Amino acid sequence: MVMGILLAASAGAAISLQTVFNNKVNEKTGNWTTTVIALGMGFVFSLMVSLLVGGLSSFQLNQLETWYWFGGIIGVGVVFCLVQAIKRLGPTFTISIVLTAQLSTAFFWDSMGWLGLEQIPYSFNKLAGIIIIIGGVLVFKYKSPGSENETSHSN
Amino acid sequence: MKGIIYAVLGGICITLQAVVNSRISQDIGILQTITVTQFTGFILASFILLFVRDGNYTQIKRVKSPYLFAGAFGLFIIFNEVTAIQSIGVTLTMSVLLIAQIVMAFLIDAKGLFGLEKKKLSVPQFIGIGMMIAGVIVMQL
Repeated sequence: MVMGILLAASAGAAISLQTVFNNKVNEKTGNWTTTVIALGMGFVFSLMVSLLVGGLSSFQLNQLETWYWFGGIIGVGVVFCLVQAIKRLGPTFTISIVLTAQLSTAFFWDSMGWLGLEQIPYSFNKLAGIIIIIGGVLVFKYKSPGSENETSHSN
Repeated sequence: MKGIIYAVLGGICITLQAVVNSRISQDIGILQTITVTQFTGFILASFILLFVRDGNYTQIKRVKSPYLFAGAFGLFIIFNEVTAIQSIGVTLTMSVLLIAQIVMAFLIDAKGLFGLEKKKLSVPQFIGIGMMIAGVIVMQL
């Protein structure tokens, strides 16, 4: 439990770091150039680590099913949607909606236990917690001009 | 309205991506999953870049090189996210991840790291962070 929370927290912190770095690339180039570089770098780096850990035999190409492609496609969909939304709504409003949708989907998924995940039954506490977190995000974003930094999530 | 639909879809996709990665890693292992999804994303994004050609990709040379390696964080992020989902579930993982993300972004702003303009921490931010953490605690009651 504590381990899971630490892992999730460090992933969140790393996303912010990555976002700041990606924004630096974005300032000079553009959204799609940035996304291509980030995913290309991510691919090269994870391929190297996979080979170091498991060797060539860690990739059994015949085990790869076609639907695995969706993992990467969804990631690109995230970038596309966020770019389009920010263009129309600005970063603060966009982020508030994105976070709400993100948490609601997570809550829904846990309750359904789809795709082989352990089903975690619906509870009032979970729902109340999500509403408080979303409220906290809204208060946090209140007149906070420096909020455009956690917008592009491209992994 | 179109903007709101994009924002909602974006949020759904962030969670969906984490869940799908978690599912694929049950089949082929987590490191392999990350490699495969980063690769397919890279190919698709490259195609989009060919057609969209937004901004100016020739300006890459003007970017300080460490920033170009940000993608390497992807491994760490997805590894931790998937491992967390398998131990504490999607809702708690996403909640903690979001809070850490917001707090970290704010610390970077407050300290003015990476050449960003310094921003002051004000009362609403403290209250907001307090509420977000309270929300996670309520979930666990």
